[in-house]
Amino acid sequence: MSELTKLDRRDFMRGAAAVTFAGAAYAAVGDKTEGTVWQLDPNKCTQCGRCSTHCVLNPSAVKCMNQFNICGYCDLCFGYLQPGSRGRDTGAENQLCPTAAIKRTYIEDPYYEYVIDEERCIGCAKCVKACLVFGNASFYLQIRQDICINCNECSIAKACPSDSFSRVPASTPYIYLTGGVETTIPVRKGEEPQEKTVQHPA
Amino acid sequence: MKEQVLNTKHPWLVGVVVVGIGAAYFVLLGSGQHPEPGLNLNYDVKVYEELDRIETRYEEAPPIRLVMENPRAMAVHDGDLYVAGKNAVAVIGENHAGARRFQITGTPNCVAVAPDGAILLGMTEHIEILDRDGNPQATWASFGAHSFVTSIAAQKDSVFVADAGNRLVLRCDWQGNVLARIGKKDAARDIPGIEAPSPYLDLAVNPDGDLWVANPGKLGLERYRENGDIVTSWYHPTLELSGFSGCCNPTQIAFTQRGELITCEKGLVRVKRYDVTSGEFIELIAGSKLFPRQQSVRDLAVDAAGRILVLDPKTESVRVFTEKGAGDGKTAQQT
Repeated sequence: MSELTKLDRRDFMRGAAAVTFAGAAYAAVGDKTEGTVWQLDPNKCTQCGRCSTHCVLNPSAVKCMNQFNICGYCDLCFGYLQPGSRGRDTGAENQLCPTAAIKRTYIEDPYYEYVIDEERCIGCAKCVKACLVFGNASFYLQIRQDICINCNECSIAKACPSDSFSRVPASTPYIYLTGGVETTIPVRKGEEPQEKTVQHPA
Repeated sequence: MKEQVLNTKHPWLVGVVVVGIGAAYFVLLGSGQHPEPGLNLNYDVKVYEELDRIETRYEEAPPIRLVMENPRAMAVHDGDLYVAGKNAVAVIGENHAGARRFQITGTPNCVAVAPDGAILLGMTEHIEILDRDGNPQATWASFGAHSFVTSIAAQKDSVFVADAGNRLVLRCDWQGNVLARIGKKDAARDIPGIEAPSPYLDLAVNPDGDLWVANPGKLGLERYRENGDIVTSWYHPTLELSGFSGCCNPTQIAFTQRGELITCEKGLVRVKRYDVTSGEFIELIAGSKLFPRQQSVRDLAVDAAGRILVLDPKTESVRVFTEKGAGDGKTAQQT
């Protein structure tokens, strides 16, 4: 205590400057560990439907995506149409999606494009499961990072029966169906699709 | 008042109330604040899976295990089974005994054997031909950047090639020159057009020499003449067992020596037998229970003994289905 009281004002300022400089230097060259965000692995997902009901947000931050380079652009799209529906058109009674979040657009005979309206999508995965079982499995779920509030403990992850959720680096926040981690954001309505490649479904 | 509460004559009653409130809290809120998805948010596949949970006349024999990376295609010729995969073709003898192996470059999508024993490999956009000993004989010119060759049927005078990328069947001579383009939509010739929403387009020539082509987008089959004229067609889009469901089925077709059509479907994988002329469903050979959570099988063939051979990518084996009572009792082979 007596030593401390002997510090004059100049010594104190020198010490404070040294601490400030050291702090700035540490911030510049120190720990560069980036943040992480929640994401679900579509290759583990079992389409249980809990993503739609267990997110703290309403509607859920989990949305359906369509990987266009796998999509068959089918007229008879099981992800879009109710099983056994009489018509193959946009009639509400024909649509599988409970919120009519899939937009069907004619491309050329007999092919149609299916784009997800994310404002309507609740992440229930009905279309994902139907496309997996009866189609090319091009629909899959992902957490939209611009919607997700990145809870410390994700309530969907707690409820997920297939342990599909994990934290991934914020710089590579999306996991595509192929299992690879991509840095690009999945295609949204009005955006250019990814590079087209031919793939055999698994 | 406070004194009265603290000195109640019925402390057990207070305890019961407190425990009741606690229990109600945990039942209503504590067990989870999120409701489980209701029926409207569930897609029930079991209803459709149950359709093929029926007794069949067939049983599964021990499979032929393949020691090969990424087996993709197979063909039967003169009692031999040819299996093509990454950088290799294996020839498995009759009764699945013994095996020869040829080195190739790449992974063929399909394989066929000509009447003279030449081996045709369907690479992505061209055909490669080996002699019966596996020596390279010819490489045809590319069919184009959009081609995706998925099936070949080799005849004495010509070769039929299914091109899923261009949604066509090509009839070629043995030099690779295209003689006819079959299956392109043409209203004047009543050709509805082949629809191939996924890389599955199969063809087969039956024992009578008729060319049958699966039209997976229309969920049926079409028969064509060599010049591309359509002879007949039938389509069975339905969720019932008697027809085809999904976006693109059947994915593979093959004929028995008696001319019966064998089909294979993806999604809910089913192997079935049809009368090819009428399209009448005859029976189920193997249902989705035997191919759990699987999108597709790689290839389908019928050997000389009438056994149904299914190339299964999950188990990397050729699965064998025989009529009950006709089992040969062989053990699993490795090739």
